[in-house]
Amino acid sequence: MAALPAMRPLGCLRSLMRPSEPITPFINRRFISTAYSKRPQRIPLPQNIPEQFLSQIPLHYRPDPTKEPLKIYPAPPSARKACPDPVAAVTESQLAELDPKGERQALFDYRRNARSVKPGDIVRVVFKNGDPFNGVVLSIKLRGIETSFLLRNELTRVAVEMSVKVFSPNVQSVEIVQRSEKKRRRARLYYMRNRKHDRRSVENVVASYVRQKKAFLGGGRGGQGGRRR
Amino acid sequence: MIQLKTLLNCIDNSGASIVECVNVLKKKRPATIGDRIVVVVQKQRSAGSEATTAAALANKVRRGDIRHAVVVRVKKELQRPDGSLVRFGDNACVLVNKSGDPIGTRMNGVVGQELRNKQWSKILSLAPVHV
Repeated sequence: MAALPAMRPLGCLRSLMRPSEPITPFINRRFISTAYSKRPQRIPLPQNIPEQFLSQIPLHYRPDPTKEPLKIYPAPPSARKACPDPVAAVTESQLAELDPKGERQALFDYRRNARSVKPGDIVRVVFKNGDPFNGVVLSIKLRGIETSFLLRNELTRVAVEMSVKVFSPNVQSVEIVQRSEKKRRRARLYYMRNRKHDRRSVENVVASYVRQKKAFLGGGRGGQGGRRR
Repeated sequence: MIQLKTLLNCIDNSGASIVECVNVLKKKRPATIGDRIVVVVQKQRSAGSEATTAAALANKVRRGDIRHAVVVRVKKELQRPDGSLVRFGDNACVLVNKSGDPIGTRMNGVVGQELRNKQWSKILSLAPVHV
């Protein structure tokens, strides 16, 4: 190094400086990607930039004259407050329409009305199309407008069960033919499906009732009991 | 709920008394009232008494015959459009030929009214009672 030509004294100076640089061993060097550096603070965009400079700003930073501010609407009125119990309201309105006098409701409300239909009674239902159905009441489901009762009978030696909606417009009349002889200790008489407890056919009981009724009414309304089953 | 292997009572005078379902037609679900099924006759009416040959001759079907049938009663409850349910004490059917006419000439027993909506009025007219 000392044997450098005298024409370049400054080159010699640089070579003298060199040894001080790479003293740190290569292994301990950190890569640039792992070096921590603070994020540069964002410079907020000036509010009122003159129009001639707007073209220099990226598109998404430029103020958009067509964009409207986001509209915020007030929350709609709460449905829960307007109608606290909708099921009860529907039941009431439907009852007023289908059973305005409340007779049907009283006829099947066996919890409150002592004279109502009870499980074990023999009942005759006549539908709108004139078809009757008779049977022993096995159960009464009190479910508001969906109240129904289950009838069981035997037609041509085949058991037939029918669940009828009390407030159905298809049901023309419901009559109690015979009360249960003894007090039933159950609300649901499903045990009557067993052979031992089966009531079998109730047709003769109903037929005699229809005959009596006809005699009592003087045969004025003959059409109802005319069909034999 | 009539499906493969279900045993049904046959309630017409075709000669079969108990039949077994082997197929439900036009349906991917179990058959119900008014559905057409294919059955095998398992038990004949008055099959045991060989002396009454006249009765045996009157039988239009024999044990082992494969026939079409229409379900007329089911144990599984059925809901009507007005919300009422109907349930019978047994599963029963009526044998019909390929064109849909009943093979028997008489029927004994109640049938479901659903047959009316499915164009089985011939069976309904033969039935003594419908519910």
